[in-house]
Amino acid sequence: MRQPDQHMSPRTRHALEFVLDNLVWFMLVFVLVVFSIAIPNYFQLGIFANIIEASSVLGVMSIGLALVIITGHMDLSVESVAALSAMAVGILFCSAGIGLGVQLHPEWLMVPVSLLIALAVGGIIGAINGYLVVKVKMSAFIITLASYIWVRGLVLVISGGRSAQDLAPAIRWFGIQRLLGLPLTAWIAIACFVAFSLIMAKTPFGRHLIMIGGNETATFRAGIRVHRNLVIAFVLAGAIAGLAGWLLAIRTSGATANLGVGLLFNAFAAVVIGGVSLKGGVGTLPGVYAGVLLLSAINTAINLMGLPANFTQVIHGLLVLAAVLLDAFKQTIRQRLA
Amino acid sequence: MSEPLLVLDNVTKNYGAIEALKGISFSIGKGEVVALLGDNGAGKSTLVKIIAGGLEPTSGRMLFEGKEFLARSPAEAKAAGIETVYQDLSLCTNVDVVANFFMGREITRKFLGVPVLDEPAMEQVVEKALASAGTRIPSLRTNVEHLSGGQRQAIELNRFVHFGGKLVLLDEPFAALGIEQTRRGLDMIRQVARQGIGVVIITHIMQQAFQVADRIVVIRQGVVAGDVARNKTSPDAVIDMITGETLAGAGPAG
Repeated sequence: MRQPDQHMSPRTRHALEFVLDNLVWFMLVFVLVVFSIAIPNYFQLGIFANIIEASSVLGVMSIGLALVIITGHMDLSVESVAALSAMAVGILFCSAGIGLGVQLHPEWLMVPVSLLIALAVGGIIGAINGYLVVKVKMSAFIITLASYIWVRGLVLVISGGRSAQDLAPAIRWFGIQRLLGLPLTAWIAIACFVAFSLIMAKTPFGRHLIMIGGNETATFRAGIRVHRNLVIAFVLAGAIAGLAGWLLAIRTSGATANLGVGLLFNAFAAVVIGGVSLKGGVGTLPGVYAGVLLLSAINTAINLMGLPANFTQVIHGLLVLAAVLLDAFKQTIRQRLA
Repeated sequence: MSEPLLVLDNVTKNYGAIEALKGISFSIGKGEVVALLGDNGAGKSTLVKIIAGGLEPTSGRMLFEGKEFLARSPAEAKAAGIETVYQDLSLCTNVDVVANFFMGREITRKFLGVPVLDEPAMEQVVEKALASAGTRIPSLRTNVEHLSGGQRQAIELNRFVHFGGKLVLLDEPFAALGIEQTRRGLDMIRQVARQGIGVVIITHIMQQAFQVADRIVVIRQGVVAGDVARNKTSPDAVIDMITGETLAGAGPAG
């Protein structure tokens, strides 16, 4: 629209659009380079592996949150859902504390069974959220805020405030066994990102979710089954949070009543930094993964520099602010490009 | 008149105590263009939404191709072959032209049993459809938010021309279009009607109605105030029907 842009060659324009679309990746690389130069011992394969490893639970949870936000809704319950799933797995398959120490034969059977339980717990709560949002037509923010509270309450109730320890070794194997330097739990997170990125970008279902986030009325008029798609999105967000809980139980080899407290806000930060608009309809999952890695990279830097851990929260908060400002800035640039 | 495609029989719609439609009866033939006229608040848009599945009527019945018909959702109306272009545009501005064109009926191919969007195939179809309608959009991969009002409306119009169906409902489709684009849009409507598709067009502009319609139906205060063939009436007579000066030329009651 502006005069100077008329002279921009298509090539510069494409390059600029590419940078805007993948801005968070550039930020990640920039941050990694700066830290590698500035902080002694940062530049090590082990550190990078650690960044990926430390972000697996948060990463998985962010996928579900991002899905629902992209459809123009909200799921504040993911953190509590993950805790409930972790607690369910912990109570059943831990041998100490409140764990019942359920044994299955052969032992590997505990892996799919515990995973299914975690996914089912999450999926059911997601279904409740989705049903209430679609049928009762209440704001997803309020409904999932309620779930955030009552699901955490349920964790306290079933655990009696106590914890379960010593998760069955067959399940913990996922957190110990390494492939190319990364534990299998990290590979699960990466696989989830790849799978859901493909679903969002390449399938009609993903396309419909993005369009619902853009203009729900238009998609309804076009004959897309909006309600069904929304319920599926909430069920997926719940089930993915359940998977995050399963990974959390493996990571901590059990479950405590306050497991995962604060993860929701980190997930939010990652999603927003990753370029997902809270208004819905905008954002990609690879971007969210970059956001997760960015947070993790900064955490690692803080640890290595020996700063008090309390600084992380201040920095995360500032990062979210920066991400929102950056998003607004990106919008203006894009408008000029058009 | 040709074989009736859609018959409305005493369709009513109440919002609480308010009677938006007090009993609408008229019919649309195959390949016929009906202009639906009426003052603001006469009930035109309500009627279109009822046919298109966006609203359910309070009472009355509809026959589509001779069979009892009631669309409970836009998806059902679409499945029956009814396409609608709404007054407020129904585009998702956050995705590109191709995605909007195929909204809800994407071309897919199976990859390991999973339906995957066939982008090249869709892009080709859109390119052809827009080219044959003389619409120029720089890149089909730009998000619709970057397009002008006219370009957006052109996408919607080309969409119904391409997918056709059996009956097309147009709720003030030319509101954002320039003179040349409007002329082309009216041509599109005639072209669609020639294929045997029934067209209902809502408009405020008398001239457009007389340019394109075979028949003019006037709605006033929730009832049909006039139902006349275009060549048997005049703009002045239609204006009188809209404002209620006279009921001359009113269609058969009931």
